[in-house]
Amino acid sequence: MGAVDLMKSMMIAASGLQAQSGRMRVIAENIANAESTARVAGGDPYRRQVPTFQEKLNRELGVPTVSIGRPIGDTSEFKLKYMPGHPAADENGYVKMPNVNTMVEAMDMREAQRSYEANLNLIQASRRMIAQTIELLKK
Amino acid sequence: MSLADLPIFSMLKQRMSWLTERQQVLAQNVANANTPGYQARDLQELDFGKMVKGDGLALSPVATNVSHIGRPVAGQSLGAAKGGVLVSAPGHETTPGGNSVVLEDQMIKVAETQSSYEMVTGLYAKSLGLLRMAVTSQG
Repeated sequence: MGAVDLMKSMMIAASGLQAQSGRMRVIAENIANAESTARVAGGDPYRRQVPTFQEKLNRELGVPTVSIGRPIGDTSEFKLKYMPGHPAADENGYVKMPNVNTMVEAMDMREAQRSYEANLNLIQASRRMIAQTIELLKK
Repeated sequence: MSLADLPIFSMLKQRMSWLTERQQVLAQNVANANTPGYQARDLQELDFGKMVKGDGLALSPVATNVSHIGRPVAGQSLGAAKGGVLVSAPGHETTPGGNSVVLEDQMIKVAETQSSYEMVTGLYAKSLGLLRMAVTSQG
């Protein structure tokens, strides 16, 4: 009874860990591509990806877990940089740069880290509770 | 007669299952700490008065569906709780995305649940010890 429910809490927290690591992957992608421009003149550069989360019912466990959905492109404007010699420069010499702000990404990364820690904390607490229940058998 | 027939053991058992269930609800909250539009939930406190009167000890039907007669089913669409009543417990702040989970609050609740669980298992072991003392010559 108790241990099974606690295992479920651990599975829910594990889904949280998975979602947060998926988010870290998207953030890493954004930071890595912060300077990725197009190859053709006037072309669009890398577009910042926004990770999405959704609550999802896990039918196997019968509990709602969290899952990371398909990342969505950020619709904000691209920055323009004057670089006439660049292959992606338009007729006026401006190159479209990705709409990635590394400061924002760093903040997002911190948040992901914190949420990851919280989920780990929950797994630890659940494990301790299971251990205490098993301890009863030794009395 | 089984051990669970003794009031103290059945009360402890009920408390234990309430705590495991709460742990599950908290796990959901933490896993969804970044899901837009997610409302933090909690379980309704166990009523000690009812437990003493033996109200909660007898088998009673539990409403698990909105069409059931009886007490209202909160958050039934996600229905994680089997016995406890889910209530919405928003934190003191809500993100622009409509998420009302405050990780700090959740961590405190997890710690609280864990220490209560520790107390219950401790009491359980102590009560067993008392019984053992009664049936054997040496304690």
